[in-house]
Amino acid sequence: MTTTTQETPGSGKNRWTNFFIVQAWLVLLLASFFGAALAGIQLTLAPKIEANKLNETLEKVPELILGADAARASKDSGQQMEINRQYMTAGTKTYSVFKAEKDNQTAGWVVKASGQGYADKIELLVGVDETVNTITGLFVLDQKETPGLGNKIMEPDWRRQFVSKPTHLLLTAVKTKADGPGEISAITGATISSKAVCDIVNQSLNNLRQPLAKAASDKKKPSEKQQEKN
Amino acid sequence: MSETTSEKQSANDATRDVPVIQVGHSPHIANVSFTSRRMMIDVLIALLPVAAMSIYIFQLYAVKQMAICLAACLLTEAVFVKMRNHSFSLTDCSAAVTAVILGLSLPATAPWYVGVIASVVAIGIGKVIFGGIGMNLFNPAMVGRAFVMIAFAGVMAASGYESMHTGIDAITQATPLNAFKQMGISTSLKDLFFGFTNGSLGETSALACLIGGAYLCIRRTASWEIPAGLIAVVLIMGGLADIMGNASDWTVIHHLFSGSLLFGAFFIATDPVSSPITAKGKFIFGAGIGFFIMILRFFSGYPEGVMFAVLLMNAVTPLINRWTIPKVMGE
Amino acid sequence: MADQPTAFERFTQGILPENPVYRQLLGLCPVLAVTNSVQGAMTMAGAVLFVLLCANVIISLIRDLLKPHLRIVIFTLTIATFVTIVDRFLAAYMYQMSKNLGPYIPLIIVNCIIICRCEVCASKQSVFTAASDAVGQSLGFALALASIASVREILGTGMFFGFRVLPEMWPDWVIMVLPPGAFLTFGLLLGAVNWVAARKKG
Repeated sequence: MTTTTQETPGSGKNRWTNFFIVQAWLVLLLASFFGAALAGIQLTLAPKIEANKLNETLEKVPELILGADAARASKDSGQQMEINRQYMTAGTKTYSVFKAEKDNQTAGWVVKASGQGYADKIELLVGVDETVNTITGLFVLDQKETPGLGNKIMEPDWRRQFVSKPTHLLLTAVKTKADGPGEISAITGATISSKAVCDIVNQSLNNLRQPLAKAASDKKKPSEKQQEKN
Repeated sequence: MSETTSEKQSANDATRDVPVIQVGHSPHIANVSFTSRRMMIDVLIALLPVAAMSIYIFQLYAVKQMAICLAACLLTEAVFVKMRNHSFSLTDCSAAVTAVILGLSLPATAPWYVGVIASVVAIGIGKVIFGGIGMNLFNPAMVGRAFVMIAFAGVMAASGYESMHTGIDAITQATPLNAFKQMGISTSLKDLFFGFTNGSLGETSALACLIGGAYLCIRRTASWEIPAGLIAVVLIMGGLADIMGNASDWTVIHHLFSGSLLFGAFFIATDPVSSPITAKGKFIFGAGIGFFIMILRFFSGYPEGVMFAVLLMNAVTPLINRWTIPKVMGE
Repeated sequence: MADQPTAFERFTQGILPENPVYRQLLGLCPVLAVTNSVQGAMTMAGAVLFVLLCANVIISLIRDLLKPHLRIVIFTLTIATFVTIVDRFLAAYMYQMSKNLGPYIPLIIVNCIIICRCEVCASKQSVFTAASDAVGQSLGFALALASIASVREILGTGMFFGFRVLPEMWPDWVIMVLPPGAFLTFGLLLGAVNWVAARKKG
């Protein structure tokens, strides 16, 4: 112990250079420089990233309400749909609901719904017409189902079954050919995923059918619901 | 210089004097008549009732599937062995056994490429890459099956079943385990026991598996400890589930006779290369497989768990060997 | 310093003789994780090229100021900065790709190829050498990713770079786009590379 203190004499210069802050001057300098650079990048790019996240959903809305062909035609002809996002609480859940308006008339609604799938949460967009009587489209935003089996819920052919199904019926996934009005034929080998999608659609529409229909009917009144702008 | 040479010389002499014990890789032969070839032929004989039953139920589908696997496995073995400049090893019949077990573990309606790819993976990746017979860590047939199970989940899950009464009327019917897992439909014990259900070729008939298995155990080709441990654990866990209630239609006996449990217990788990060498180890190995089968059946998304259970326990075989090898006295 | 490789040697060594993936077995996390499509793999390779190039240049510029016990901190700081920049840029301009690659872009921070090149080359050699080293190593990395991703994408989906190359009736080998396919493909290709290398030598 004593020898160590003798070997490092307390001369001013040594103490100064051994001081850890001084040793790390380069680290500190680089850190502040990099920090500033990152802050600049974050400030410039953050709005764009946010817009990307929102657009991912918004882009799908016309297609879900009008159908893919009509949506493309209306986009080509330069017609714009006005889409407002609002939050609706129904039951125990709060849903993001997108209200699509065309020429100041409600064209339909798109509901973002999620629920437990076979592997993980499935996130869906469900499109319904303005009176909330029939389903106009279904899109899978996010899923982690088994590749080759459960992830076939993303295939357009399977999703198309939901189009023009009435909302007042509870949809069921059947293993045979779907004949009944509320029947969806399940994906072979992935009955659970198919059922999960039906259940999510059923639950969200069940919860939202009345509030949405009410909102659609008294659209002349200023909306009582909390409307958020983002 | 000369000193070192003489030292070397003496060292050589010393090794020559000491009896050298040559230890080859497993399967080890304790008895001269007990060669791998004889064991493999025994397994083939034991598989006869299973194969016959599958041909009776699935008819041409079964013949086609086994023929494809047999041809593909033998061809792969021949090609790979030639590439590695080993002596020709088709005569030990191990490739044929892998082929038949693999074929019997595939569903009847799986397309031809499933059998071919499964065979190439089984022999190539499952066996030859590890160094050929006796060196493989995992049961080759199950490696091949796991590969196609994940690769072509669609065709492996949904399989057709040719109703024997109508002859041509091929209907698609869920396997008993699938039917129960997804729709809660139970299958009658009699059908499960004789095998008039859908499933992979060799797994439907509990009776055929029991006959073949009994033959293997009596001939000592398969060690009885493995199926004993496996079935004991399945009985205990299934029994506990029964007692715990939920008054399910799927009793412990259903568990025992359904799926590839018995086929796996007697023909897959007893592979002498990838199972432990001591009797105690074999019992632990079988018990572990039984445990994993039940866990997978109860809690996983797959209706059946024999394949994954066997592969999992294959992976811990070296560890079991290390635990159970008798200690030298005094150590 | 005389025995240090020249800039040209650094460049060529990175591509094949010292390929970061097949010869050095570095950076295997992205090799296994993002090679289920060639597009994803190439985006990853581009991101690594950018990060490695910037990090190597910066480290080489300040190499005389580095203190031995603080150099790792500085390496990590530099790498993390550029990885964050890449990550934000992808999220802003290639949103779908950034979603597909998920956490693997931020994970470039812990990719050992980069810290290895900073330590081995950039902290000892000139800026030009460090830059050519970065490009060479990144090309080697891209080559490895492309080879694995091609096998996996073609067998797993019948497509290459998003275009269909195998007939419609091709049964997709789903296992190839799943994690086990990555291990199998990488193992077999690594074996093949070693086999070729051994034949060349002997």
